[in-house]
Amino acid sequence: MSSESSRYGVEPGDYIGRRLPRVEDARMVRGEGHYVADLRVEGCLEAAFVRSSLAHGRLRGVRLDEARAVPGVVGVWSAHELPELPAAQPLFPAEVLEGRDWPSLATDRVRFAGQTVAVVVAENRYTAEDGADAVDVEVKELPAVLDPTKATTADAPELFEGLSNVVGEWGTGEDIGEDFWKNAPVVVEASYRQPPLAPTSIEGRAFLARPEEDGGLTVWCSHQAPHRLRRDLSSVFEIPQQKVRVVVPDVGGAFGGKSETFPEYLVVAYLALRLGRPVRWVEDRAEALAGATHGRGQNQRVRLAADRDGRMLALAVEVDASTGAYPHYGFAPLFNMLRLLAGVYKTPRIYARVRAVVTNTTPTAPYRGAGRPEAAYAVERTVDLLARRLDLDPAEIRRRNLIPPEALPYETPTGALYDSGDYPTALDKALEAADYESWRAEQRRRLESGDGSLLGIGISCYVESAGVMEEYGAVEARADGSFLALSGASSTGQGHEITFAQVVASALGVDVERVRVVEADTDAVPRGVGSFASRSMQVGGAALHRAALGLVEEARRRTANFFGISVEEVGYREGMLFAGSEELSLPELVERTGPLRVEDVFDPPQAFPYGCYVAVVEVDPELGNVRVLRLVAVDDCGLVINPMVVEGQAYGSIMQGLGQALYEEVPYDAAGRHLLDYGLLDYLLPTFSELPPVRLEEMETPNPNTPLGAKGVGESGCIGVPPAVVNAVADALGHPADLQMPLTPETCWTALCDRSAARSAEVRP
Amino acid sequence: MKPAPFDYRAVGSPQEAVSALAERPGEARVLAGGQSLVLEMNYRRERPKLLVDINGISELERIEEEGGVLWVGALVRHRDFEEPVSADPLGRLLSRVSRYIGHPPIRTRGTMAGSLAYAHPVAEWPAVAVALDAGIELLGPDGPRAVSAGDFFLRPFATACRPGEMITGVRLPLLGENSGVGFAEQRRTQASFALVAAVATLTVEDGTITAARIGLAGVAGRPIRAREAEEYLLGSPLSAEAFAEAGRRAVRETDPLPEPHAGVAYRRHAVGVLAGRALEQAAADLEGRA
Repeated sequence: MSSESSRYGVEPGDYIGRRLPRVEDARMVRGEGHYVADLRVEGCLEAAFVRSSLAHGRLRGVRLDEARAVPGVVGVWSAHELPELPAAQPLFPAEVLEGRDWPSLATDRVRFAGQTVAVVVAENRYTAEDGADAVDVEVKELPAVLDPTKATTADAPELFEGLSNVVGEWGTGEDIGEDFWKNAPVVVEASYRQPPLAPTSIEGRAFLARPEEDGGLTVWCSHQAPHRLRRDLSSVFEIPQQKVRVVVPDVGGAFGGKSETFPEYLVVAYLALRLGRPVRWVEDRAEALAGATHGRGQNQRVRLAADRDGRMLALAVEVDASTGAYPHYGFAPLFNMLRLLAGVYKTPRIYARVRAVVTNTTPTAPYRGAGRPEAAYAVERTVDLLARRLDLDPAEIRRRNLIPPEALPYETPTGALYDSGDYPTALDKALEAADYESWRAEQRRRLESGDGSLLGIGISCYVESAGVMEEYGAVEARADGSFLALSGASSTGQGHEITFAQVVASALGVDVERVRVVEADTDAVPRGVGSFASRSMQVGGAALHRAALGLVEEARRRTANFFGISVEEVGYREGMLFAGSEELSLPELVERTGPLRVEDVFDPPQAFPYGCYVAVVEVDPELGNVRVLRLVAVDDCGLVINPMVVEGQAYGSIMQGLGQALYEEVPYDAAGRHLLDYGLLDYLLPTFSELPPVRLEEMETPNPNTPLGAKGVGESGCIGVPPAVVNAVADALGHPADLQMPLTPETCWTALCDRSAARSAEVRP
Repeated sequence: MKPAPFDYRAVGSPQEAVSALAERPGEARVLAGGQSLVLEMNYRRERPKLLVDINGISELERIEEEGGVLWVGALVRHRDFEEPVSADPLGRLLSRVSRYIGHPPIRTRGTMAGSLAYAHPVAEWPAVAVALDAGIELLGPDGPRAVSAGDFFLRPFATACRPGEMITGVRLPLLGENSGVGFAEQRRTQASFALVAAVATLTVEDGTITAARIGLAGVAGRPIRAREAEEYLLGSPLSAEAFAEAGRRAVRETDPLPEPHAGVAYRRHAVGVLAGRALEQAAADLEGRA
């Protein structure tokens, strides 16, 4: 054993489930991380964009002369001067985009405040912004429509001439029919609004393109899917893929907002090629809030029928989802949402329709959770309504409807195949960890004493889908005794440098310090998909696991050949090969037989992590402030490779869930301009000061569909928290009729006023 | 988010600062902590042609107590108040309020005088200044003058400070031993702007209120004093009912502007609650030391 591994107190090869520190943290907390903005590329120019200040209008003219005269400005362009500039690329090809091009610089129309209208390239960013300041944009304003449901009406402004604002409509299940609802013993109905959210990674988007002498292009980008970006750049600029290199340096968070091939990227790459010089664009916070993509943004109408014992009979969900001004990304999360509407319940009939609608808001895109939080919210809020209607405890009504563990694998009416798990145990664990019964008793005590303080308890059970598409993994044994783990996933903060090393070192039985993770560079990793949909460990980790086991087999074959014996006679343990009395280390084998790399591409079915959250809240009866007294999270993400990394994901996603429940919403005025004059002082994120007491509890049911057993962990908290917290606040406030996120003090105070108004109406004769 | 081009001059005395400001009439700004000005410059809503950096003027870093007045130099930072700067109840008030300003990095740079000069309608120090009838000392090409806080704040981000003038210091009257202080603020997260805030001081003789001061932030285009509520309290004993009624009266004196997540009705309601809570705190502060 090396001194390195004794530092961890762990035997080589035994790294699964160990809290090894993340490799990147030391450099990041010391300020030694290397982001796109930190790169020093000789002769690099800086770009700044001129963006529309109006949400909707006809572009009458863009005057560039004054900007061109600013000393240090290299060039200024609008769409007019760049007829060959490629348009923004969708996440995946779809009919809904037909006739709805998203020009990388606006041509004749602007459709959202923040849309790119012109670009300035200069020797530095200060000068580029001086140039952008001098560009004059003339727009004839048109009426704007911001709400997706309003955008479907006949008198709504048409965003794309001659085309409906409804760009697509999808569904699941058979229409349940009015007769059923009329005859059902109990029906509850509600409408929910999912406000638009700004993903807000610490590092914004960033892109640097350098044209190469051989006609190729090197790109550094803060991105989640470098191989897709390479494919898109290769295709739009007609450069062979092998001549396009995409490198992802350190990334300060992504949350779904860095998967795309954005207009800004295409403009910068196009200009780099045209100018023959490197050009960089680093998004600032004002741009990130208005011009980057937003998440959520939908209106939901939900009906739930049950029998008198609270057994759920049918669920119907209708959704109008805003894609923002261009539908290129925003329709993607809707399929997650439709698939997950059964939740953790055995509801036999489910019918859902979703309309994807263009509006004059910032385009939406998958944002951490990406359809999963929307589904969980629609279901879990309504289950609480049903409990209240039937005067049942919210825990009890859930118990009566949960899919039992023996029913798994379980195919839902929405077409999801839940792989494994134990939903009732998750609920029980969460209730126990939250001390649920004591809080209920305390709530009764307070109600009876009439002391005016408002205590609420909320539950949410969720199931989510993790992983999509294949992933590439390769493991190489090197003559110097080290190992390379190559992955097509690409970390944007997930900690792959240690967790992937743990997977490979455990499979090979070697010291984890000998494994170096290689990813995020399309020249170093031949193919890949990326990091999103909680897929890195579920799919990418499993591919590496398989490649490592494959490497052992290949090593045995080579050893057998070398000694002229059969494979069965060759043993392997902890990096050593044993053949009779002979033994050979992997480095020795490489020296004698040549490079040893084994590749794998793995495409498992989706996994379905799940869990249960309980929130206990107090609401200030005078001011409406919500205080979260306790938050319990029970998550089952399958096999845990590194509990510290899993907890980090849980805390991060819990905070983003609290953000959605209590603080976050992109505010617009009636004309569609963002009310964000002070950036993150207007768009409020929860920070460490807002972190409530959190208790994390784990369950660990291995994923039966991968040899490694991981299910995925990136999104649990932002799915489980919003309905748990809103259910708790609703419980504290006596279940007001129209309680919508974010639960600001004003929202809660208004609900309290409505309640007292209703009460005084009741006592009137 | 890069500022428009500007010139920069570091100065060593108030006179030098005023001379520098005079070189670019109407286009020069004073740089102290820079916590608001630089943000506005980065958004290009402020485009000074010249920044006059006064951070080298050491005489403006002082805090002095003399003749019943606390004098706070223009370079005194928010964090300098965290530990009480005076044995008078005023020291406790400034300490309590300072903890609500921004977050620690902002408090180590930003200054009280800078906050007054910026005149954000929900800022804490302007409400304190108005409540206490602070005197704001200005120096300009025509020499020094003082403006009382009640006349200093005109509209959001607009004050009686003329182009070419700078704040050199703030004079805050001591409250006296038999006084209590309170401060209550409503905001959505720990580091966000206030929605509404209320500062209150009470002076008591023989169990009766002889002086009451209530300053409110975020309820109009500028900080205001709730005079009607103050008058109502004179002669009253310290009682929860009196404070609640004073809060209700304070509401009548407000004229808040709407903003996302805090409409007019809510802000008016909240200020009544906060004024009541600030008064209760002031009473508890008194009783705690009795």
